[in-house]
Amino acid sequence: MSFKRSVTAVALVAIVGVVIAVAAGARSHGTLSGAGATFPQPLIAIWQQQYKRDQINYNGIGSGGGIAAITNRTVDFGASDAPLTPDQFAACKGCVQMPWVLSATSVMYNLDGVKNAMHMNGRLIADIYMGRVTNWNDARIKRLNPGVNLPDRKITPVYRSDGSGTTYNFTDYLTSVSSAFKSRVGGPSTTVNWPTGVGARGSSGVAGVVTRTEGAVGYADIAYALNNHIKFAAVQNRSGKWATPGLRSIKAAASADKKFSSTNELSIVNPPKGKKYLRAYPISTYSYVIVPLQSGKAAQLKSFITWAVTSGQRFGPKLIFQPVPLYVVNRVKAQLKRVH
Amino acid sequence: MATATRSIPDPAALRRRGRFNPGDAILYGVTLGAALSALVLLILIAREILADAWPAMKEFGLGFLTSTTWEPTRDIYGAGAFLFGTALTSFAALLLAAPISIAIALFLTELAPRWLRGPVGALVEMLASVPSVVLGLWGILVMGPWIVEHVGPFLHRTLGWTPFFKTEPVAGPSILSAILILTIMMVPIISSICRELFLNVPRELKEGALALGATRWELVRGVIFPYARAGIAAAMILGLGRAVGEAIAVTQVIGNNEAITWNLFDPGDTLASRIASSYVGATSKMQISALVYLAVILLAFSLVVNLVARVIVQRVTARQEGRA
Repeated sequence: MSFKRSVTAVALVAIVGVVIAVAAGARSHGTLSGAGATFPQPLIAIWQQQYKRDQINYNGIGSGGGIAAITNRTVDFGASDAPLTPDQFAACKGCVQMPWVLSATSVMYNLDGVKNAMHMNGRLIADIYMGRVTNWNDARIKRLNPGVNLPDRKITPVYRSDGSGTTYNFTDYLTSVSSAFKSRVGGPSTTVNWPTGVGARGSSGVAGVVTRTEGAVGYADIAYALNNHIKFAAVQNRSGKWATPGLRSIKAAASADKKFSSTNELSIVNPPKGKKYLRAYPISTYSYVIVPLQSGKAAQLKSFITWAVTSGQRFGPKLIFQPVPLYVVNRVKAQLKRVH
Repeated sequence: MATATRSIPDPAALRRRGRFNPGDAILYGVTLGAALSALVLLILIAREILADAWPAMKEFGLGFLTSTTWEPTRDIYGAGAFLFGTALTSFAALLLAAPISIAIALFLTELAPRWLRGPVGALVEMLASVPSVVLGLWGILVMGPWIVEHVGPFLHRTLGWTPFFKTEPVAGPSILSAILILTIMMVPIISSICRELFLNVPRELKEGALALGATRWELVRGVIFPYARAGIAAAMILGLGRAVGEAIAVTQVIGNNEAITWNLFDPGDTLASRIASSYVGATSKMQISALVYLAVILLAFSLVVNLVARVIVQRVTARQEGRA
C-alpha cells in the first residue's frame, strides 16, 4: 500500500508543479528571456525591476553560454562581453549584436604592504603573463613604482580557464600594446593558450585564487574587484597618464567616435594619445546584446533594448557602468530597425 | 546470475504449459526494453561523439595524441598535455589510495573490534557520497591554502631533490591538489570492494592458517592477499577509472594550464577537466570538435578500464566457484 500512496504523492506534486508553471506562464504574457555574460548582470538585475512593459528574465551563465542559447533560440536575447567570432556569427544564422553596456577590466593584485593603484603599463602586464617578468622586485616594476617597497616574491599570473569576455577584453588590450604577446599568445580571444600561470573558473574563481595567493595578479571586471575589496592597478595610457578604472576614465576611453565593424564590433582598448583621452583607462570595453533578426517578439525586444541603451543607462554609474555615448545609442536604434 | 535465470522458466516454456499470463508478457517486454535502451543509448552516444569529433580527427589524425599544442587563437589542438596530466594525476592518486584503502579494508575485516567495524565502514563509504563539486570547493578553500602553507614547504624541504617538489609551492591550484582530491575519491571505492573481497576469503582457510600458528600478519600475507589478489587489482582499476573520468573537482583545483611538468606544485590539466572548463566558451567549430575528440579518447579509455576490470572479476569468481 505504501508504494501506491507514494505514487499518488509523486503524481500530486507533479500536478501542482505543472499548475504553478502554467499559472506563472499565463501571468507573464509579456516576458523576455535572456542569458549570457555575468559582467552586465548587476545592471540587468536593476533593469528587471525598473522596466515595466515586460518581465525580463535573465540567466547569467557566461558569454559562451549566452551565445549558445541565442544560437539555439532557447532565449529571446543573448548577452556576451566578446563580439561573436565569424564561426559563431555564421552558426547564429541571422543574428545582430549591438553594444549596450560599457565598463572596464581591472588588473587585480595581492601584494602585502603595497597600496592600491600601483603602477603598471601594458608591456609589463604582457610580459608578466608571458612569464618574462617573474618577480615583484623586477627592475622594470621598480622603475614604474618609485618609492614603493616591492617584496622579493614570485609573481603568479591568474587567468580565466573558461571562455570569457573579460579574457577577450584583456587580450584585446595586450595584443594592441605588445607585438610579442600577439605573436606568442595571439588573440584577442575569449580563450587563449597562456604560457604560464594558474587558471580558474569565472571571475569569482580568479578573484579567489588572487586573494588566497600572495604575489598573484589577475583580471576581472572593475565592479567585481571593488565589491570584493581587491587591490587593482593604475594602468598607464598612451598619453603617459596613470588611470584607474572608474566612470571618468572609462568615459574618456569611449569618447572617440570609433568606427563600427560591419558586425557592430567596437573596440576601445588602448586609445591613442590626445587631449580627449588624457584620463582614458586603456582596458575599457563594451558588452553586447545579441538578438535574432527574425523574432516572434521583435516589437518587445526593440522596445526593451531601446529603453536599456537610453533610460536604462542612468542606473549604471552606481555599479561603475558608464552610460554609452550618443553615437552608440544611435547605432543601436538604427540596427534595431532590421529586427522584425 | 546464471543460477537465477535458470531457476525461473522463460515465457515460451510457460506458454507451452498453458500457464501463460499477459501480465508476465508485459513485464518481460518492459524489462527487455529497459535493458536494450541502455545498449542503444551507449551506441548512440558513441556515434554522436564520433561524428562531432570527426573534423578534428581528420585534421589532426593520431598526431593529436602526442601533440602538446593547444592554441584556440590559431585553431591548432593536441591532447598530449592532457593525456600526460590525466596519467600523472590518476596514477599518483592510485599510488596513494591503494595502500590506504587496503589498510582500511584489512582493519575493518580482520583487526578492528566488532563494534567499531560498522560505524567506521559506513563513514568511509559516506566519503563516496560527497558530491565532487563540494569536494572541489573544499579543495579550493581549505586544502589548497593548507598545501601552500604547510604540506608544500615540508615536501620541498625534504624531497626537493626529486623532480616532483622542485620549487616552493606558490598557489593553491596545482597538480598535487588534484592528486589529493582524486585520492579522497578513490579510497571509498577501493576500500569497499577490498572489504567485500576479504570477507569472502573462506573461513576454513583463515582458521586453518591460524590453527597452524600463523600470526595476523602471516594470515594477511599468506592467505588473504593471495586469495584476493586479482580482486584487489580489479578494485584498483575501477578506482583508476573514477579518477580518469573525474572532471568537475579536478577542474576546480588543478589550475588548468597546458604545461607538461613533473613538478607537482605547478598547475596542469586533464582530459576531463579540459572538456568541462572549455566546452561552453568554445569559439570555433574546430575547437568544439577537438574537445569532443578528447571525449572520444576518454570514452575509449573508460570502456577499456571497465572491460579489464570485468574480465578480472569474472576470472576470480570463476575460480572461487570452482573451489566452492
